[in-house]
Amino acid sequence: MRQTPWQRALLYTVVVVWSFVCLFPFYWLATTSLKTPLAVSRGPRYLPTVDYQPTGEHWQYLLNDQRDSLLRHFRNSLIAATGSTLLALVLGSMGGYGLARYRYHWRHLLNWRNHDISFWIISQRFLPPALFVVPFLLLFSQLNLVDTHLGLILAYTLFNIPFAVWIMRDFFVNLPIDLEESALVDGATAWQTFVRIVLPLSTPGLVSVAIFSFVFSWNEFLYALMLTNYEAITLPVLIAGQNNTRGIQWWYISALTLAAVTPVVLIGLALERYITRGLTAGAVKG
Amino acid sequence: MAGPQSTVPEAAGTDRAHERSFKRIFLLPAVFYLLLLSVFPTVWSLGISFTDSQRGARTTSEESAGFLGTGVQLTARNYVRMLSDQRLHTAALNTIVFVVGGVLLQYGLGFLLALVLHQQFVGRNLARVIFLMPMMVTPVAAAYMGRMLFDTRISPQAHLQRLLSSLTGTEISIPWLSEGTWATAAIILIDSWQWIPFMTLLLLAGMQGIPEEIYEAARTDGATAFQILRQITFPILLPLSITAILIRGLEIFKIIDVIVVTTGGGPGSATESLTMYLFDTALTFGNYSYAAAISFALLLLVILFATLFLTLGRRIAGQNSQ
Repeated sequence: MRQTPWQRALLYTVVVVWSFVCLFPFYWLATTSLKTPLAVSRGPRYLPTVDYQPTGEHWQYLLNDQRDSLLRHFRNSLIAATGSTLLALVLGSMGGYGLARYRYHWRHLLNWRNHDISFWIISQRFLPPALFVVPFLLLFSQLNLVDTHLGLILAYTLFNIPFAVWIMRDFFVNLPIDLEESALVDGATAWQTFVRIVLPLSTPGLVSVAIFSFVFSWNEFLYALMLTNYEAITLPVLIAGQNNTRGIQWWYISALTLAAVTPVVLIGLALERYITRGLTAGAVKG
Repeated sequence: MAGPQSTVPEAAGTDRAHERSFKRIFLLPAVFYLLLLSVFPTVWSLGISFTDSQRGARTTSEESAGFLGTGVQLTARNYVRMLSDQRLHTAALNTIVFVVGGVLLQYGLGFLLALVLHQQFVGRNLARVIFLMPMMVTPVAAAYMGRMLFDTRISPQAHLQRLLSSLTGTEISIPWLSEGTWATAAIILIDSWQWIPFMTLLLLAGMQGIPEEIYEAARTDGATAFQILRQITFPILLPLSITAILIRGLEIFKIIDVIVVTTGGGPGSATESLTMYLFDTALTFGNYSYAAAISFALLLLVILFATLFLTLGRRIAGQNSQ
């Protein structure tokens, strides 16, 4: 469609304004991490070296003095997110494959078929996490899983599985079936077909699942706060905890926040098309 | 939703018992996982909500055998208490305000930005990546960014408000985060900053799926851009919009992290959400049974919202297609 100059101007105005809205908080975070406490408290300063003297002091404090603490929390986040992602990938792709290629009929259990099972699985993703606060507190302390990586992995996987099953089922349904049929005719078992033929063809779906699971687990707050108290504390809880100690140290929090956010934002930007693909699985086709 | 269901192994005619075992092997691990960590805890929690169990409290097994000899007395006390708990009512109302406000803002702006990204222009791919960025940020981090930018002393708002004050001649100072209504607005804005990209991406994908011929036909008939939007794009995207709004709404019902970081539920309990109140009840006060009861009230609210919204959505969609 041809655009008039006015439409073009309007278009670019919206794009520029919204890009500014998206980017300015990141800019403010980055510059605040370079300000001295005085430069922060004396009202807004915009440009390093122009209206304030930048300092690398807070980054030095974060990366030298607080190095061990930062690395430990980073490691906790990484282990919890990776562990849960792997578990969701395995269980999700298996479940999704089952639902895409077999007909289930639970005659003795509510008379459910594939459609009902799929709906039940995805509905688990939308249950309020608050529903599990009390039982998980009791269950996890009974099993000595409080403040452990395994505890976090188990809790996160519960929320990652539904989405993983959903995306993978959608992916497998759209995968041409011929290769699987010929593999079966050649005498491969269903499991061998799945592992050697179907999975290698499903990388895009698996990448979508991996991003969503990883980002969800990396960013999760409620269960991390509830199920950890020292050893396994993840980055979001560490950041939120900066609230209470010795007033708010914006400069230090900014450096810490930027350090915690950067890896996930970079992953997201690099794999942007897989995110769109994962979001639209199911939703667009209704 | 239901794609073409094909049954490879049956078609290939392999050994039946074998094939049935594979059928189970694929699906059952995921199903068992959800049964163990979702269904079982839910049922257990429902039981707890009918007791008066507290952290550190001794069970009353010496007094009586209790329900089914488990030593637990069943009581509906928690549910009765909810009826007169003012703080709970405030939290429920706040949560609903967060959901409705957030969904409206995110859908409106998300739709507009999707329309923009659907146009052809130089730098479109870059714009799409920039628009996506907020969605990747840890909500706790987004909340800190928001708190910093809503602080009227240290953020550019200080200059903005001074400018506005001198222009209008009256003192303009917005008490973001320190006054109930403004704090609610601030939290909705932070959540929206982060999640507008979700709406944009989803609606953009929907727009890209509309065949170009429909637009061309409308244009030859002399339809204006606004008419096309109102009578073609919007109705076609309605089912997708309903799904997107439902997903976002259900997500906002869970809100806690943004509030913890920005206002801590205050001033007073003006921005406290249900999840936050529940968390406080369970962890600070150790009142497990009441917290469990609240979680079922929240679940009920969520189900009510979903049902109401879907019914309403279907009705609007039905009218549109007539």
